[in-house]
Amino acid sequence: MSQWIDACATDDIDEEDLIAWEHEGKSYAIYNTEKGFFASDLMCTHEEQSLEDGLVIDCVIECPLHGGRFDICTGKALSAPVHQDLKTYPVRVESGRVFVETG
Amino acid sequence: MPGYVPTNAASSGVKLDKKTLKSIAARSDRPGLIYIAQWLTFLAATGTLVWATLGTLWMWPAMLLHGIFLTVPAYSFSHETAHGTAFRSRWLNEAVLWVTSLLYMEEPLHRRYTHTNHHTHTWWVGKDSQMPFDTPMGFGGWLAEITGTALLRFHMQVFLHLAAGRYTSTMKMVTPEREFSKMTRNARIMLLIYALIAAAPFFGIWWVVWFLVIPRILGAPVMLLFTLIQHVELQENSPSILESTRSFRSNWLAEFLYMKMNNHVEHHLYPQVPFHALPKLAEAVQDQLPAPDPGFFKTNLEVMSVVLRRSLGRPTKAATIRQAPHMITEGGPVERIAQRTM
Repeated sequence: MSQWIDACATDDIDEEDLIAWEHEGKSYAIYNTEKGFFASDLMCTHEEQSLEDGLVIDCVIECPLHGGRFDICTGKALSAPVHQDLKTYPVRVESGRVFVETG
Repeated sequence: MPGYVPTNAASSGVKLDKKTLKSIAARSDRPGLIYIAQWLTFLAATGTLVWATLGTLWMWPAMLLHGIFLTVPAYSFSHETAHGTAFRSRWLNEAVLWVTSLLYMEEPLHRRYTHTNHHTHTWWVGKDSQMPFDTPMGFGGWLAEITGTALLRFHMQVFLHLAAGRYTSTMKMVTPEREFSKMTRNARIMLLIYALIAAAPFFGIWWVVWFLVIPRILGAPVMLLFTLIQHVELQENSPSILESTRSFRSNWLAEFLYMKMNNHVEHHLYPQVPFHALPKLAEAVQDQLPAPDPGFFKTNLEVMSVVLRRSLGRPTKAATIRQAPHMITEGGPVERIAQRTM
C-alpha cells in the first residue's frame, strides 16, 4: 500500500545533487534539481550500481560506474549502456520537508 | 551490486569525500571549447609551417610537428569524449567524439564501450579488452606498439567487422546490443571517408596527403608513446589502480597534448572527473597515491631500456620508474602473462 513518508529536509540535499535514503529495507535516491525534488530507485538498472556517487547534470543523473544516464523527472533511460528505465516515485515538499510516496 | 569488483577508487582503497569529488567532477562546456580554440590555433600554425616548407626537405620536420599536434590531441579528445566528460552539453560531446575518433581511426562507439570495459577491469587478463601489447613487454612488442602498425591493423579489422555486421565475441561482451546498428552505420561512413581521402591524389588533390595523411602517420608514434606508459611494466590482475596504472610528471605542452592524462592513476580512480579538473583531483588524493614517475621522455627512455634488456635476457630492474615485482628479473627466459587484446 502506498504511503507518503517524511524522507529528509530540503536542506539535506545540495542543489544539483542527490542523497541515498532507505525505507523499510528499500533504497531510494532523492534529488534536488533545478526543476525541484524527485525520487527514484537508488540502483542503476544496468549493473546494480548505486547512483549515490553519480553526477546530477540539469535534470539527468549519470551512473558513476559506466556513465549510463537517466532523466531524473521521468526515470527514462537516455543513453547506453542503460536501456531499462529507472523507477521513479512521487515527491511533495511541505514546510521544508521532502515526502516520498513509496509503495 | 554488480557481480564483479570494478577497478576504481573503492577497489584501490582510495577515499575522497563526496562533496569534494562532486565539486571537482562538475561539468562545463567552457574548458572543452577553450581547448578546441587552442588546438585549432596550434594546427593553423603548424599547418602554415607545412605550407611554407612544401617542396623542401624542411617539409618533413614540419609535417612531423603538425602530425604531433593533429594526432595526440585527436586521441586525447576522443578518449575524453568517449567518457562523456569533455563537455556539459551532450550533443557537443558526441559530435566531438565522432570527429576526433575519425582522426584517431576507431569507430566511436567501439572506442567508448571497449574503453568502459578497460576501466571496469583495468589490466585484468582475459577481461580487459584494451590491453594493447603482450606482457611482460619485449623489444619486438615495443616496436609493434610505437610504430602504430599493430593498432592500425586492429582498428581496420574492427572497421571491417562492424561495416559487415560481423560482431566479434569481444564486441558482444562489452557493447549493449542496441548499439550495433549505429556502430555499423558509423563504420561504413568512416570507411567511405577514408576511401575518399585515399582516392584524392588520383584526382590531383594533394593537400590531404601533406596536411592530413602523412602528418597522421608521423604523429602516431608520439601518441603511442603517451599511451604506452599508462600501464606498461605494472601489475596485471590487481584490484588496485595504484598497482596497475602509472601517472607521470609533465610540462605544459605534454599536458596540453595529452589533456592532462599524465594524471592517469587519478583518472582511473575517478573516471567521471573531466580532464581540466585532474590536477585538482591529483592534489586532493596525493597523500594516498605513489609519487608520479618522471616525465614523458625519461619514463619512455627507461621503458625502452627495460624492454630491450628483457629481450636480450639481461636484468630488467628500472632505475627511475615503478615496476610490478614480477617485471624485475635477473634475465633469462620471459614467461608471458598477458596476450594483447587489441
